Amino acid sequence: MFFVFVFIWTFAMIAGITMVWLLGWAIKNGEFQNLRAGARSIFDEEEPEGRVTDYFPGEGPLMRQLEARR
Amino acid sequence: MSATSDSRGEVVSRIEVDRSAEWVVTVYWASALLWLTVATLAGLISSIKLHSPGFLGNIEWLTFGRIRPVHWDTAVYGFGGTAASGTLLWLQARLCQTRIPFPTLLIAGGVVFNVGILLGSIGVLMGKSTGVETLEFPLWAMPLLVIPYVFIVIANFKMYFNRRNAHTYVSQWYLMAVTIWFPVLVLSAEACTNLGAVDGVAQAIANWWYGHNVVGLFATPTGIAAAYYLIPKVIGKPVHSYHLSLLGFWSNAIFYNWAGTHHLTGGPLPAWTITIGVVGSMMMFIPVITIGINHHMTMVGSFHHLKTSPTLRFAVMGSMVYTLSSFQGALESLRSHQEITHFTHYTIGHVHFGMYGFFAPLMFAMMYYAMPRLTGNEWISARLIRIHFWCTLGGMLLYTLAMCYAGIRQGLMMNDPTVPFLNIVKFTIPYLWIRTAAGLILLAGTVAFLINFWRIVQPHRLRFVTPTLMTTERDYDMLLKKEKELSQ
Repeated sequence: MFFVFVFIWTFAMIAGITMVWLLGWAIKNGEFQNLRAGARSIFDEEEPEGRVTDYFPGEGPLMRQLEARR
Repeated sequence: MSATSDSRGEVVSRIEVDRSAEWVVTVYWASALLWLTVATLAGLISSIKLHSPGFLGNIEWLTFGRIRPVHWDTAVYGFGGTAASGTLLWLQARLCQTRIPFPTLLIAGGVVFNVGILLGSIGVLMGKSTGVETLEFPLWAMPLLVIPYVFIVIANFKMYFNRRNAHTYVSQWYLMAVTIWFPVLVLSAEACTNLGAVDGVAQAIANWWYGHNVVGLFATPTGIAAAYYLIPKVIGKPVHSYHLSLLGFWSNAIFYNWAGTHHLTGGPLPAWTITIGVVGSMMMFIPVITIGINHHMTMVGSFHHLKTSPTLRFAVMGSMVYTLSSFQGALESLRSHQEITHFTHYTIGHVHFGMYGFFAPLMFAMMYYAMPRLTGNEWISARLIRIHFWCTLGGMLLYTLAMCYAGIRQGLMMNDPTVPFLNIVKFTIPYLWIRTAAGLILLAGTVAFLINFWRIVQPHRLRFVTPTLMTTERDYDMLLKKEKELSQ
């Protein structure tokens, strides 16, 4: 059982130290700066801010437009 | 098209990212839906047995003590594990703007994971359960669950280190954390319980530390990561307060781990261990409120999109229930609350509220959003999506309300020594029937989703559908091209 305890404590220490290290790394790396830009990082030219990207099948406005053109 | 060069000088577009994930993520999500069906059926059998004990009573494999753990374990690992893994892989690939690495290995890992759950479930049905809640699978089945997860952890970090986007989006914090936390949880809990590192009360503490955290440090972060991506993405509006989102993540990381011992209130434990659990649960108000503010305030002014977007319906349902079930869970940890609700159906209502009201809808939302983009096909039926949504919402509400109300009444009656125990049992029977009805409604929704899912992975369906979930002309052109190829 001694080895099991060593294993658990080692594992827990690694996990804990990793999280603390990650926090330090994030601060140092500027992850908590310019958060406005960070919030917008999920948008791109094709799925830009301001565009709704999900509709029920057959009910989206762009679809109707494209179908008419087709 | 936003595309940048990766470290190998290769251009990776969003569509290429999605395509690299197609088979890997489809395997994980298809498994998730199949296990959800199995879990629901096992849950239904367990539920029926509570109001009609003779039901399948002569089949030893299906006795309550065996089928109920199969229900929970297939829900947690079979549905939760595979749905969360698929979500983690696709979301990380998208946010890192990189292809999914070693897809064949990940698919093989998915198959091994499924075999592990199948063998573990058969083991429990044969009576080989360990008896440790949430870790009932026989020990020999566990390596089949743990080893494939190592592949997912490696793939996750590889994508992160190869990322194009310099910023780490809040969802990525949650996803990275899950891959660190979950292996620690499983291995430590197995060591302390089934491997026998500790005995007695300490084993119970380890058991409930794990039982609570498998929800809070595995399912919850994945669900929150999905909500933080889907809600802003669908409505095209950034998160209400990005500052709060980061505060939410770090406070969740610090406090959740402490909450598990509140499950043992009233048990033969040192009082301070339970007090720690209660304090940890109360502190959870900080992340819950910050996450709630963010999800709900982002939606302000955009609620009309709920009418037109299937993804948003499930995502908003999930995020709203997250707030409600977390408030409920935190209050439930209080000793004064537990005096009434402990060992009653109230707890069961709460667990299903969280798992089927928060986690599952967010996984469904992820699938509704991603599958058309992964496969290049469209969902075949809007009606089936609506059926799925209303069955999920209706079934979940019916279940939760019935169980929580019955639980409170049950608890109050159990605290009254003048009420005969048999009267309490009789009182709960109508509510147990309602639970079975709710389970059937949830099953109907799952079947509707399974039909839609089965059809979206069929390439020939492309010609008969209208791809409205894809809202860009490039998506549409790609579909037309594929349609032509198929018709030749």
